[in-house]
Amino acid sequence: MEQQLNHINTLPALTWNWLKVNRSAFLAQRPEKAAPAEMPPAFAEIETGMGKEAADFAAQYCTDYHTVDVPENAEEKDAETFQYVLSAEKPVVDVNLIHARKGSRVTVLESYTAGDNTACFHGGLTKILADEGAEVRLVQVQLLSDTSRHFNDVGIRLGDNAHVEVIQAELGGARAFSGCLALLQGYRSNFNANTVYFGDEKRKLDFNYIARHTGRKTTSEMHAAGALLGQSDKIYRGTIDFIHGASGSVGHEAEETLLFSPQARNRTVPLILCSEEDVDGQHAATIGRINAARLFYLKSRGLTEAQAKQLIIEAQFAPVISKVPDAALQEAVREYLGRRMQLD
Amino acid sequence: MAQKLLEVYDLHASVDGKNILNGLNLSVAPGETHVIMGPNGAGKSTLGNVILGNPEYHVDSGSITFNGADITHEPTDARARRGIFLSFQSPEEVPGVTLEDFLRVSKSAVTGKPLKVFAFQKELKKTMEALNMDASYARRDLNVGFSGGEKKKAEILQMLMLQPKLAILDETDSGLDVDAVRIVSEGIRRYKNKDNALLIITHNAKILENLTVDYAHVLVDGRIVRTGGSELVDEIENEGFRHMEEGVAE
Amino acid sequence: MSSPVKKTQVQEVDRSLYDFKDAVHPSYEADAGLTPEIVEQISREKGDPDWMRDFRLKSLGIYNQMSVPDWGPPIDGLDMKNIVTYVRPDTPMRGKWSEVPKDIKNTFERLGIPEAERKSLAGVGAQYDSEVVYHNVRKEVAAQGVVYTDMESALKGEYADMVREHFMKLVPPTDHKFAALHGAVWSGGSFVYVPPKVSVEIPLQSYFRLNAPGAGQFEHTLIIVDKGAYLHFIEGCSAPKYNVANLHAGCVELYVAEGARLRYSTIENWSKNMYNLNTKRALVEKGGTMEWVSGSFGSHTSYLYPMTVLKGENSRMEFTGITFAGKGQQLDTGAKVVHAAPHTSSHITTKSISKDGGECTYRSAVTIQKNAVSSKSSVSCESLMLDSRSRSDTIPAMDIQNDDSDVGHEAKIGRISDDAVFYLMSRGISEEDARSMIVSGFAEPIAKELPVEYAVEMNNLIKLEMDGSIG
Repeated sequence: MEQQLNHINTLPALTWNWLKVNRSAFLAQRPEKAAPAEMPPAFAEIETGMGKEAADFAAQYCTDYHTVDVPENAEEKDAETFQYVLSAEKPVVDVNLIHARKGSRVTVLESYTAGDNTACFHGGLTKILADEGAEVRLVQVQLLSDTSRHFNDVGIRLGDNAHVEVIQAELGGARAFSGCLALLQGYRSNFNANTVYFGDEKRKLDFNYIARHTGRKTTSEMHAAGALLGQSDKIYRGTIDFIHGASGSVGHEAEETLLFSPQARNRTVPLILCSEEDVDGQHAATIGRINAARLFYLKSRGLTEAQAKQLIIEAQFAPVISKVPDAALQEAVREYLGRRMQLD
Repeated sequence: MAQKLLEVYDLHASVDGKNILNGLNLSVAPGETHVIMGPNGAGKSTLGNVILGNPEYHVDSGSITFNGADITHEPTDARARRGIFLSFQSPEEVPGVTLEDFLRVSKSAVTGKPLKVFAFQKELKKTMEALNMDASYARRDLNVGFSGGEKKKAEILQMLMLQPKLAILDETDSGLDVDAVRIVSEGIRRYKNKDNALLIITHNAKILENLTVDYAHVLVDGRIVRTGGSELVDEIENEGFRHMEEGVAE
Repeated sequence: MSSPVKKTQVQEVDRSLYDFKDAVHPSYEADAGLTPEIVEQISREKGDPDWMRDFRLKSLGIYNQMSVPDWGPPIDGLDMKNIVTYVRPDTPMRGKWSEVPKDIKNTFERLGIPEAERKSLAGVGAQYDSEVVYHNVRKEVAAQGVVYTDMESALKGEYADMVREHFMKLVPPTDHKFAALHGAVWSGGSFVYVPPKVSVEIPLQSYFRLNAPGAGQFEHTLIIVDKGAYLHFIEGCSAPKYNVANLHAGCVELYVAEGARLRYSTIENWSKNMYNLNTKRALVEKGGTMEWVSGSFGSHTSYLYPMTVLKGENSRMEFTGITFAGKGQQLDTGAKVVHAAPHTSSHITTKSISKDGGECTYRSAVTIQKNAVSSKSSVSCESLMLDSRSRSDTIPAMDIQNDDSDVGHEAKIGRISDDAVFYLMSRGISEEDARSMIVSGFAEPIAKELPVEYAVEMNNLIKLEMDGSIG
C-alpha cells in the first residue's frame, strides 16, 4: 500500500515558493511484512535530515532492524555491513540505530543494490549517537534500478570530541531522496559529509543536508559532487546552521555539479544561518560543464570524448568510492558508472 | 639621569595557556639599538606582541614601563600613541582601506593633531621613493595582494611616517631578497637618531649590516640568557645558539 | 506635470469616507481598511483616466484575495487596518523643520535648494518652490529630449500611451499582495524616458521630485531607456525620509532597450519604524545592460529584491549591494535574476552587516532557463557579524536548466578579524575607530560604485551606525 509523504527535505529557512525548493513530496510504499521498530528515547530525540514524516514512516513500517552498540574504547576492525539486494517483491525499510560509546571506533556500511530490473522500494533510517571521543564512519551506497524509489534518512548527534563521517553514493533509482542532519552539540565535535550523486535517465535526486552547530569549537565540512545526464533533475539543499553559543566554530560546504545534458535540471540551495559572531562559515558551489581545457588535455593524450568524460567523472567520484569498505561493491559502482556513461 | 624608554621587568606571558615568556628583563634607553636573537620558539615574536598589548597574549606577571609610565595593562592604541611601533612579521591585510588613508588616520591619531594633507602627501611620496616603493601602492588596499617584500617595505614606510620613539622590528628581513634587505636596512638607518630607539628581533644578522648595535641579547625559552655588545652577534653567527641553550637547562 | 492645486485638493478629501473604521478585522485577508469607494475617490481626485481607475479597482480585488508571504521577517506589526490613513495625503510628513535631522538639512544645503523649498520636506507649505528646482534640472536634460515628469502627468500627457503600455506589466498586481496594494493606491513617483542613443551624463536624482505629503510611500517609478541610450538614475537619497506613516510599498519598473544601459542606484535610509516592501524589476533587451547599486540602512523591516529579466541575447546584469541591520531591524534583501536568452551574464556582489540584535537575510534566486545557453552567473555574498546578539542568514537559490552555462556561487560569514583590529590599534587608532574603518573597508566595493557624495553619505551612515548614535 502506498503512502504519500508531503513534508520531506524541508529547507530550514523557507524561501520563495515559486522556486519549489522549500520541501518535497515522496511516494512511499508500506511493505507487507513490516513492524514498528523499537526506538529508545535517546534515539527518538535525534532529528533527521528528511524530517519527522520520513523518519516516522521508516520507524513504523520497518522490515529490517539493526542496532549497533559499540562498547567504550572498542575499535571495530571490520565494518558492520548491511547489504540488501532488492526487487519489486522484496521492498526494504531498514532502521539502523548506532550507538558508539565513549572512545570507540566503528565503520558501518549499508548498501542497496538491484537484484533485477523491477521497480523496488527502499526506505532507510539511520540514527547515530556518537558519545565523547567516538569515531563513526557511515558508508551508504545505493545502486537501484531506474524505476525504483528510494529514500535515505540520517540523523546524528555528536558528543564532545566526537567525530562522524558520512560517505554516500546515490547512483540509481527513479527517485533518490536523501537527508542528513548532524547536531554538533559536543565541544570540539566534528562532522564530515561526502556525497556523490549520479543523475541520468529521468532520475529525480533530492537532498537535504544540515550541519547544526550548537557546541563550541565545532567543525563541519559538507561536500557534494555529482554528474547530471539525460533528463535528470536534482535539488541539493545544504545548510550550515550556527546557533548562538557555538563560538569558535567552523562550517564549510562545497558543491560541484557537472552537467552533461541540455535537459538536465539542477537546483542548488546552499544556506548559512547564523546567530553567533565568532564563527567562520563558507560555502561555494560551481555548476557547469567539464572544464574545456581539461577535456582538451585528455583528448590530446588519445582519449575519446566519452572516455575523457568518464575519466573525469570517475575522478570526481573517486574520493568517495575509495572509502567504500568492500572491494566487490567498489567494483560494482565503477562498472555501473562505466556502463551508464557509455549509454549517453 | 637619562630616563629609560622601555623597561620590561620579570615578564611572564602566555598564549592559549602555554607559557612563552618566563621572566624576561629588558631595558632600552633613548638612542640605543638593541638586537634580540634566539632559536625558533624562544618567544621573540611574543615579546613584540606583548609589548604592544595584543589581546591574544596574556601577561601572567611582571611589568612593562614606557617613559616611566606603567603600560602593562594599557590598550594597544594607547601604547601606540605613546610612541611605540611594531613592524609585524606577517602584516594583516585590510581590504577596502588604502595604504594612504590608513597612514593618514594613523598619523593623525599618533600625533594627536589634524593633518596637513598636502604636506602629508609630499612626505609620503618622498618616503616611498626612498624605499623604492612604487607610488601606486599608496592607493592600494592595505597589504592586500602585496608580496612579502612589499609588505615589509610598507611596514618600514609606516615607521618612517609615524616617527615612533621606540620601533620594534619583528623579523623584518625574513623573506626579503638582497636588494630589499638593503633598502629596508637603509630605511631603518634613516629613522634612527639619538632620541629614539630600535629593538630588532631577528634570527639572521643580514639586516644589521648597516646599523650600529649597542646591545645584543639572546632569548632562549622565554628569557634573556645573555647580553653583550655587537660582538655577541658575530658569536651567534659563527656558533649558533646551542651552547647557550644548554647553559639554560637548570 | 501636476499643479500644486491638485495636490492640495487631495489633501482636502471628505473625511466621512472613514466610516469604514468600524469594520476592523485582526487578519490581513479580511481587510476592511480599503474599500472600492475609497479607491474610486482617490482615482477621481487624481483625475485618473478611466483605464487607471479600473486598474486600481481590479488591483484592490487581487489584494483582498492574496495572503502575506509565509517566509521572511514577520510583518504583524504592520497596521493594515489603517492602511487608508497611509494613502490619505492627510498624513503629511509631520514634524517641524527643526525636528528634521541635521544631515538632511545639510544635504539640501549642498544641493543649493533654497530655504523655502526645504519647508516642503516637513510636509507643510507650498509645493511651489520645489517646482523651481525641478525646472532647473529639467532644462538641461530636456534639451536632450529626455522626458522626466511625475507619474500623474505622464498618464495624461503625450506619453500617456507609452505609460499605459508599460504600467505594471513588469510587476503585475498579481505578483504579490503588496504589488496589488500598490496597484490600487499608488500615488506619485517619476516617469523617465530616454530617447535612442541619448547619453544622459549627469545622474537624474529622484528626490528632486518631492511628492505630495503621504504619497511618497506608494510612488511608482517607470523608466524607459530606448535603444543605445544611457542613464544613471539615483533613487531617493541617503537622508532619511522623515515619515510618520510606516508602510512603503513602492514599485519601480525599468525597461532597458536593445543596446541600452541603465544604472539604478539607491541608498535607502528610511526611518526605523518603516516597513519597506518595495518591488523593483528590470527587463533587459538584446545587448542591454542593467546595473543595480543598492545600500539598505533604514527601515524596521525590509523585503527588497530587485529583479532582472535578461530577455535579450547578450544582455547583462550587475548587482552590487550592501545591507546594514542595526538594533530592531530585520532587513531581508537580495536580488533575483532570470536568464531567458542565450549568452547572458549576471554578477551579484553583496555585503551585509548585522549589529546590536539586527537581523540581515540575504535572499536570492538565479534562474537559467533552458534556452539561455552559454550563460554565466556568479554570486558572491559576504556577511559580517559584529556581535552575538545579531543574526545573519544567507538563503541563495540557483535553478539551472541547461548544461551549457557556468554558475558559480560563494558565500562567507564571519566577524571582524581580531588580528586586523590589533594591527590598526598598534598604529594608534582606537578600537572603535579601527572597527569602523574595517567595516567601511568591507563596504568599499559598494561605495566605489556610487557617485562621490553618496559614497561619502554612505560611509557617514556606517560610521554613525558603528558609533551607535543612530536609532
